Amino acid sequence: MNLLSRFRKFSFWSWVWFILGALYFLIPLYATLRHSLRMERDVIGFRAYERAFADPSFLETFLLSNLLAVATIIASIILIVPTAYWIRLRVPEARRITEFITLLPFVVPAIILVFGLIRIYSSPIGIPFTGINLLQPLTTTKLGTYTLIVAGYMVLAMPYMYRSVDTGMRTVDIRTLTEAAQSLGASWFVIVTQVILPNIRSALLSGALLTFAIVVGEVTLASFLGVDAFGPYLFLLGQHRAYEPAALSFVTFLLTWFAMGLIQLVTGGQGQAAGAH
Amino acid sequence: MKNRKMLLNLMSLLVFASLIAACGGGATTEAPVATEMPATEMPATEAPATEMPATEMPATEMPATEAPSAEIDPELVAAAQAEGTLTTIALPHDWCNYGEVIETFKSKYGLEVNELNPDAGSGDEIEAIKANKDNTGPQAPDVIDVGFAFGSSAKEEGLIQPYKVATWDTIPDDAKDAEGYWYGDYYGVLSFLVNTDVQPDVPQDWADLLDPKYNGQVALSGDPRTSNQAIQSVFAAALANGGSLDDAQPGLDFFAELNQAGNLVPLIANNGLVATGETAVRITWDYNGLAAIDSFEGNPAAEVVVPASGRFAGVYVQAISAYAPHPNAAKLWMEFLYSDEGQLLWMEGYCHPIREADLRERGVIPEDLLAKLPDVSGAVFPTLEQLNAASELITTQWDTVVGADVQAAP
Amino acid sequence: MAQTSLRMPVIKTPSNLKNWLGVTPFFLFAILFLALPSIYLVQGSFLDQNDQFTFQNYKDLFTTPLIVDAFKLSIQISAVTAIVGGIFGFLLAYAITVGGLPRSLRSALITFSGVASNFAGVPLAFAFIATLGRRGFLTLLLKDTYGIDLYQSGFDLYSFAGLSAIYMFFQFPLMVLIMVPALDGLKREWREAAENLGASNLQYWTRIALPVLLPSILGAMILLFGNAFGAYATAYALTGGRLPIITIQIGAQIRGDVLHNPGLGYAMAMGMVIIMAISLAGYSWLQKISERWLR
Repeated sequence: MNLLSRFRKFSFWSWVWFILGALYFLIPLYATLRHSLRMERDVIGFRAYERAFADPSFLETFLLSNLLAVATIIASIILIVPTAYWIRLRVPEARRITEFITLLPFVVPAIILVFGLIRIYSSPIGIPFTGINLLQPLTTTKLGTYTLIVAGYMVLAMPYMYRSVDTGMRTVDIRTLTEAAQSLGASWFVIVTQVILPNIRSALLSGALLTFAIVVGEVTLASFLGVDAFGPYLFLLGQHRAYEPAALSFVTFLLTWFAMGLIQLVTGGQGQAAGAH
Repeated sequence: MKNRKMLLNLMSLLVFASLIAACGGGATTEAPVATEMPATEMPATEAPATEMPATEMPATEMPATEAPSAEIDPELVAAAQAEGTLTTIALPHDWCNYGEVIETFKSKYGLEVNELNPDAGSGDEIEAIKANKDNTGPQAPDVIDVGFAFGSSAKEEGLIQPYKVATWDTIPDDAKDAEGYWYGDYYGVLSFLVNTDVQPDVPQDWADLLDPKYNGQVALSGDPRTSNQAIQSVFAAALANGGSLDDAQPGLDFFAELNQAGNLVPLIANNGLVATGETAVRITWDYNGLAAIDSFEGNPAAEVVVPASGRFAGVYVQAISAYAPHPNAAKLWMEFLYSDEGQLLWMEGYCHPIREADLRERGVIPEDLLAKLPDVSGAVFPTLEQLNAASELITTQWDTVVGADVQAAP
Repeated sequence: MAQTSLRMPVIKTPSNLKNWLGVTPFFLFAILFLALPSIYLVQGSFLDQNDQFTFQNYKDLFTTPLIVDAFKLSIQISAVTAIVGGIFGFLLAYAITVGGLPRSLRSALITFSGVASNFAGVPLAFAFIATLGRRGFLTLLLKDTYGIDLYQSGFDLYSFAGLSAIYMFFQFPLMVLIMVPALDGLKREWREAAENLGASNLQYWTRIALPVLLPSILGAMILLFGNAFGAYATAYALTGGRLPIITIQIGAQIRGDVLHNPGLGYAMAMGMVIIMAISLAGYSWLQKISERWLR
């Protein structure tokens, strides 16, 4: 009985906090929705949505950002998972410095990182004080530019990706798995792709989704590198159009939430930490 | 597993895509216009096939003093087409009808236009040239459209190259560099965009803004420490507040007063905020305000008022980057912009083209277009020195004179 | 880590160098895309507008009242939103873990938090302006239906309090996402043991749960601090220029059309880096302590 009454008391306050939180979060979103439905005078309608989606630039930039996001995620996984794995397994001394590195993007203001990247890679890389140029600026070609922007995105997403992977690996007994796989004759490549990766699946997925959100919303890097991404498109829309930006931000919020929910459902994984700017 | 993850990502993408498709948006991927158009079909006085006003422009009235833009050097066109692309920067489609200007240019000459960073400010454009000196890739802008003061500073820094368009002589002298490094392209006058649903009482002049009925309604269109538009708004207020083109201090004082009275909203106004009524009175260029009214389509009802006193004209200038990867395309672009056709396209975006006096004189402006433009008689044009001095004052003094009262006070 | 009965001999490679080879791709990436820009930053902070070496930027950092105030303001708003965000975020995390709410709500809140923690900038500012601005629907609702005039009674969204309230939109979720695993780590056995020994609810929390959780909570608050400290887009969208926090100042120096002393901007950024580094050091230390209990 003591337990029961305590339990009931718990639930009451829990509901209070939850409802307060829900109100705080949902009301501003509702305000955005409300505004977006009022494009036509005195009519609640979806004109803003029609207009927003009818713009060919919307789909172009959105798809491009999606592709860049997928590229970033894949590249990040390829870079970070083997590294984290190797550090846990063989080089624990590297752990400190690696964690420091992955926290750097968190410490150095993003706008500085972005500007630095652009400055450095817009000029040829050569041996200083000689006239010799080793590498043409990455930005000379479209491919080079895309490489640079994906690298930039990887840097921005690195703290979250690494944290996800690290957390995922923490709960899995890397050593045993490796030894077992090795005793069965697996190569390193097989171990990483078929043994380790599946076991950190849910953590990877959360990291992936956060990277996705970061890439699709990023504005500065894309603007300055001349990449037609979704971020600059949305920003520009907000400067001139009165109703479509609200429609788009509401829709993207919903869709991202929906996608996250799908992933949660399929993997039953935990959420991961992220941050906004 | 990686496959699983990719599958899920694909699924999410499909969900996105299908939802979008369901909402009726068809994506039309632009096939680059690779076909070349013969150099001869280019008299600028003819109405091209794309959206131009239906009224005809007389093709015969060309007094001897004018340099008709029909004489665009066919060699230039061929050279430009050989380059194939033009890289522009900071040209939002809703600004001065640039959308149509670019489209017309593309279809007329068969060039591709690579549009960089439409929300860049003048400073960003200069930065872009500097940062891409050694870069011939798509990030290096060929041409820039910057605030008046930036033309000469860019020239000093060696960032631009000279070029005189065919219609050079019809550009007013005080709006261009004598050696042809930069040249004014259009101007606008600072005015008030008012959401009349929320605020039916439209202010007629700067002093009206201080009235208590505008409490919490007036906003600038940028940050006065960095944005051209905002700085010149303060400068403009000076004219109406006892200052002059040589003395911008009263402008700061005016805004300090506006802020104290609680009339100044600290937001950077955009059209969304005007529509909700949060910034019911937005101080912006007249062409922006008029374009906004078009985009509102009646919801909300709005008006643009050019203030009775303190009419401040802001000129923007064109220039070709000294490091332009496509110099011929850049020159062709300039020829196009300064042709009658280009100038009139700007006018459709409510901007006053720099050759307006010449166009009026020759009677090439259609009546309905003339009717759309507001009366800006009496607008003053600051000189470079005046502009620089005022900018210096405003950007450094803004925080202390106007913003000082708000510190961290939870 | 569990010891298996059958153990393969761990092959120690003769040279450590070979092991370090495995992490070279990562380090190479870090050098190319992280270290170089950071060095650019450090180097840039010592240059003046004519690219000459100078300490002036750093001197300006400490002597210009505007900059000092900007730092103070940024620290203040970050601290306030970290503490308030931390507390309420903790309560939310508590509600969906130990607090006994249905499982579906837990998933909903966690996924929502994932999205909300990245929702910032103009859309976020607009959402709040559309709610509580002078013409926000809530403001108008209160005025027209209940006769309560918010702005008359001194409320102002465009203030320190307003900006803080908006920051919470990404601070609460961040706290939730960090604390949920920590709260999950509270072992049932402790709770049961405490009850068996006759502890009351309050005693359980004050003597056992909170002390165990405290390092995580404080660590999370430091992360929240860092998050708010680096925020730029939201503040810019809301205040334009009224609340001159340090990130906006940096932006003005580096990008501005007129104010253009990038060296000073970089020096300010270095100031930020140092503050962030200190807070992250604190975070790491607290992490280590909390890890002791959560294994």
